[in-house]
Amino acid sequence: MLTCKQVSNALSKDDYEKLPPMRRFFLRLHVKLCIFCGKFNRQVMESQDMCRCYKQQEEALAEHRPKMDPAQKDQLKELLDSQSKQD
Amino acid sequence: MTPSNSLNILLTLPKKEEPKVPVTPPEQWVDLYGDYLYGFAMSRLRNPDTAADCVQDTFLAGIKALDRFDGSRDIKFWLRGIMRNKIVDQIRKSIKENKVDIEAEDEALLESFWFKYSGIATTNPDPWEFNPRKSYDNGEFWIVFEKCIAQVKNPARQAFALRVLEDQTTEEVCKAMDITPNYLWVLLHRAREQLKVLLEANWTGKDAN
Repeated sequence: MLTCKQVSNALSKDDYEKLPPMRRFFLRLHVKLCIFCGKFNRQVMESQDMCRCYKQQEEALAEHRPKMDPAQKDQLKELLDSQSKQD
Repeated sequence: MTPSNSLNILLTLPKKEEPKVPVTPPEQWVDLYGDYLYGFAMSRLRNPDTAADCVQDTFLAGIKALDRFDGSRDIKFWLRGIMRNKIVDQIRKSIKENKVDIEAEDEALLESFWFKYSGIATTNPDPWEFNPRKSYDNGEFWIVFEKCIAQVKNPARQAFALRVLEDQTTEEVCKAMDITPNYLWVLLHRAREQLKVLLEANWTGKDAN
């Protein structure tokens, strides 16, 4: 069985989904049952779930993100033209 | 069929080739990928000038490394891969300019009983005002989520961007920010706390939609 400190350390090092299956099982079990670190570490796991899901959804968010300034684009185009001609 | 016959058939079968993606000429990159890469950089850096610099550096590095492009994936994602390194460099640079100082409140947290003995900040954190899991399928939620990340204060946001969004190891982030692993833990805890407060303020009540 893992201690609270071991659970917290494992969660701070990496996403818990990347842990080996047995270690992940004992970590989940500890967090479910522990009256000391359970509530806190459950929120850490929820946050990791959320960030993992966000990264999976990122492609769909591209169209809602800010666009580049047209003047900056023109400058960049000129720069790339000159660079690709040089190479 | 004799063994030599079957061997002949196997040898004459056409070899399965890796799908090759055509290379878009660099002159078209700004029109095709400029906005995409700029938006990606903005989601990590928040500063329009730094994000534009990052796009420029990415394209220039892309032109230089174009002969190493193997065509195994779309050039857009290849350029994004280059950009991720540029983003990490930019964050490192801004951290060097504004050195991270440990705050008294954070120092007290590191010295607290619960952190020392269980690696947690408190045994009784405030519960979520809404169930975030129910919103995962809602595209709108992730737009709000991204806006909330942008509002998290530095240096917690920088630590969060490097460690969580860019998947840098604890050692790499600590080296870049010149902080201890324990302080990195505090910064990530602060980022999570702020993100929760911001999400509750901006999303509570909308999850039913």
